[in-house]
Amino acid sequence: MCFHDPIDRREAVKKIFGLAGSVVLGTVFAGPLGFPKPAMAGLKRSRFLVEGTGMHDGYSVKKLVEQVFDAAGGPGRFISKGDVVAIKPNISWARVPVLAATTNPEVLKAVIELCQAAGAKRVRIVDHTIQDPRRCFAITGAGLVAKQTGADLVYPRSSLMKDMKIRGNRLDVWPVFIPLVEADKLINIPVAKHHSLSMLTLGMKNWIGGVGGGRWSLHQDINESIVDLTQFFKPTVTLIDAVRIMTRNGPSGGSEAYVVKKNTLILSDDPVAADARAALLFGKRPGDLGFVRLGEKRGLGTSDFQSLDLKRVSL
Amino acid sequence: MKARHLVWLRRISQSFFLLLFLFLLVESRLPQEISLKYSLVTSGQQNLTLDYPVGFFFHMDPLVGLSSLISGHRFINGILWGAGVLLLTLLLGRVFCGFICPFGTIHHLAGSLKPSLKGPEMRKANEKSPGRRIKYFVLFTLLTGSLLGLNLSGLMDPISFFFRSMALAILPGTGAAMHSLFQTMADSHIRSLNLLGYGAEALVSPVFGYEPQAYQTGWFIGALFLFLLFLNRIRPRFWCRFLCPLGALLGLFSRFSLLRLDKAEEKCTGCGRCTRHCQGAATPVPGQEWDRAECLACFNCFQVCPENALAFRLGWSFGRNRGPDMGRRAVLGGIFAGLSIPFLGRLGGERDKVSNAGLIRPPGALEEKEFLTVCQRCGLCMKVCPTNAINPTVGEAGVSGFWTPRLIMGLGYCEYTCTLCGSVCPTGAIRKISVKEKIERPIRIGSAYVERGRCLPWSGNAPCIVCEEHCPTSPKAIYLRKADLETREGKKRELQVPFVDLKRCVGCGICENKCPVKGRPAICVIAAGESRSLKNRLLL
Repeated sequence: MCFHDPIDRREAVKKIFGLAGSVVLGTVFAGPLGFPKPAMAGLKRSRFLVEGTGMHDGYSVKKLVEQVFDAAGGPGRFISKGDVVAIKPNISWARVPVLAATTNPEVLKAVIELCQAAGAKRVRIVDHTIQDPRRCFAITGAGLVAKQTGADLVYPRSSLMKDMKIRGNRLDVWPVFIPLVEADKLINIPVAKHHSLSMLTLGMKNWIGGVGGGRWSLHQDINESIVDLTQFFKPTVTLIDAVRIMTRNGPSGGSEAYVVKKNTLILSDDPVAADARAALLFGKRPGDLGFVRLGEKRGLGTSDFQSLDLKRVSL
Repeated sequence: MKARHLVWLRRISQSFFLLLFLFLLVESRLPQEISLKYSLVTSGQQNLTLDYPVGFFFHMDPLVGLSSLISGHRFINGILWGAGVLLLTLLLGRVFCGFICPFGTIHHLAGSLKPSLKGPEMRKANEKSPGRRIKYFVLFTLLTGSLLGLNLSGLMDPISFFFRSMALAILPGTGAAMHSLFQTMADSHIRSLNLLGYGAEALVSPVFGYEPQAYQTGWFIGALFLFLLFLNRIRPRFWCRFLCPLGALLGLFSRFSLLRLDKAEEKCTGCGRCTRHCQGAATPVPGQEWDRAECLACFNCFQVCPENALAFRLGWSFGRNRGPDMGRRAVLGGIFAGLSIPFLGRLGGERDKVSNAGLIRPPGALEEKEFLTVCQRCGLCMKVCPTNAINPTVGEAGVSGFWTPRLIMGLGYCEYTCTLCGSVCPTGAIRKISVKEKIERPIRIGSAYVERGRCLPWSGNAPCIVCEEHCPTSPKAIYLRKADLETREGKKRELQVPFVDLKRCVGCGICENKCPVKGRPAICVIAAGESRSLKNRLLL
């Protein structure tokens, strides 16, 4: 069996996902409305970072997500008509949203609706959960979001983990969750939280949830692994959910006492800059994070997010 | 009613109950609904409930109810169903065996689809034989044992036997075969095959499990089941005639039934068709006395008799009914065996002297002595466990606890907010607990300890925090401390090393399950500290 030339399979899986919606849990959204493409789409763009903040109670998370995307040029800047979009939230733990161990379902839902409005042919929620997937889908709210939006919720079955060449410094061949590499566009929506080994888990670390295999051994060289995977996946854009952040006992937490409301969203097409900005929310300097330093060194982005096209929106 | 109609009524009823059994078997799983209304829930403590009464057949089984009653002095839920079956038997004989019992139906099918014995051979095979007394021996063994506090009835009870065989062997075995077929198809380079493979896997996953299921001794459970099916080639419904303790119990109750087989001896030409088609070897042939307690109420003899010499009628015939042919030796032997087994089973010392570290019972399980009075070893908790952690024991609970449930953390772990095993247990051997009770009390099933020699950071080999990050309690039972270690080259190296706080640990075993040291993990859960047992208490 030829595991190391993914080309055939890549096409095959593409076809399969195109035709057989039954591979995934959830139903298929039909008839998205077309969204006019902004003029800047297709132009060579400089990297940007948008911060959105909800200033007062009762703000709409959905509106904030929309404004953040609009400030970055609208969802049409990233999503073309007919795209298959894979969304990588962090729904690894069977914890309710208020514990901030998983991506806020309101953010997830808003992003899916933006993609659909921008003309995406199909939106998939893709995460290789740590605990039992069905429990994670149910408790994190991802299952309900999939049902409401018609997005596909892909079950992380072992036949969807295929060995691929990562070509990283540390990781060579590793099983990858195929729907992530088969998508036309890839949106990373991590939740910002504490992590007992890598200090924080933000956008770049979220890619550990995109692979299979014995991924617990990645902890032995966590920063190199994170950077290898970020380099491999190349997300279109990263939206860090810092509506609620978990400040200690991460990554699984378990008590609202560890949770702080920051009401913040960070959107960037520079994975390193997004993480660097989010580090400030925890009172850390970007340079404190090993994977930010390493990612910058490898040229994946900059930790000096001030140098990017910086925008702020608030509600 | 005409004989033909009765036989068809029986076939319809058998198919219905067999399909119902299989349906409830499949439905004994984590609810498939994944869109919980999270906005209504803030604590994550919503209780899991199944949509169907998956324990229905156990409730309907009078042997389960009776053995729990005399052994654990418990009225199990739904015991009235079992009482109803006994009442039905009092009125109509063993119609449960002929019309309802799914295990009987399977044997009926196996024996009659393609019978191995022809004409006269079959007739001879269906004549009464002393082997039928074995089932009374089995029944008296089980009931006497139950009376002395060791409930072994589930090992031989047909519903438990069938459920266990299907859930722990036939279903996972078929599932494994299908998974490997679809995996091969998904790996192939032919696109249409890929497509078929993925689609088929998605279709069968909800029934056979999303990942291959594994059960300790599953191969043996399956082999035993297939062997019993094979025995139908020697005698049709071998199990029902010779071995089934529930059949024996119902045979006892059929003594006073109103169902009569009227034989018109003058019409009989001695063709022997009635005996040839008799499922229970109950001597339907005119001229000899009918064995009421052996009759499975299949009504075959009624249908096949060409001379209309046989007819089933309802009528009060108290006093003329013949009692079951139990045999004094079978009864006395059974009582003797039942008296011996509970004490022989204790000679290993598992109950009184030693505690097995590997005997991690499901959350909510009763204290060990009480547990063994009601556990049916049916495998329902094992089937429903979403992580495949609950497995049948081999020797962990001693010989008297064979095939009772225990958690194997190498295969799964106890999901923090799941209480399914207790919610389905048909006899209450695992209590029905709420998520709130499980978390807040908390219910401990064991406790974790770190093996420093194998632990990656403790042995100075690599950083690793996997156990700590998975620990679900709040505050975490596993905590990290910085340790300055010296490397081989004499350099200082700071690593985080894990400790277990026993006051917090509930023994869920996710740390052991996820530990990167496979085979013999560096953090393990043992039964010590389980809250159901005073004997196993760890902290004061």
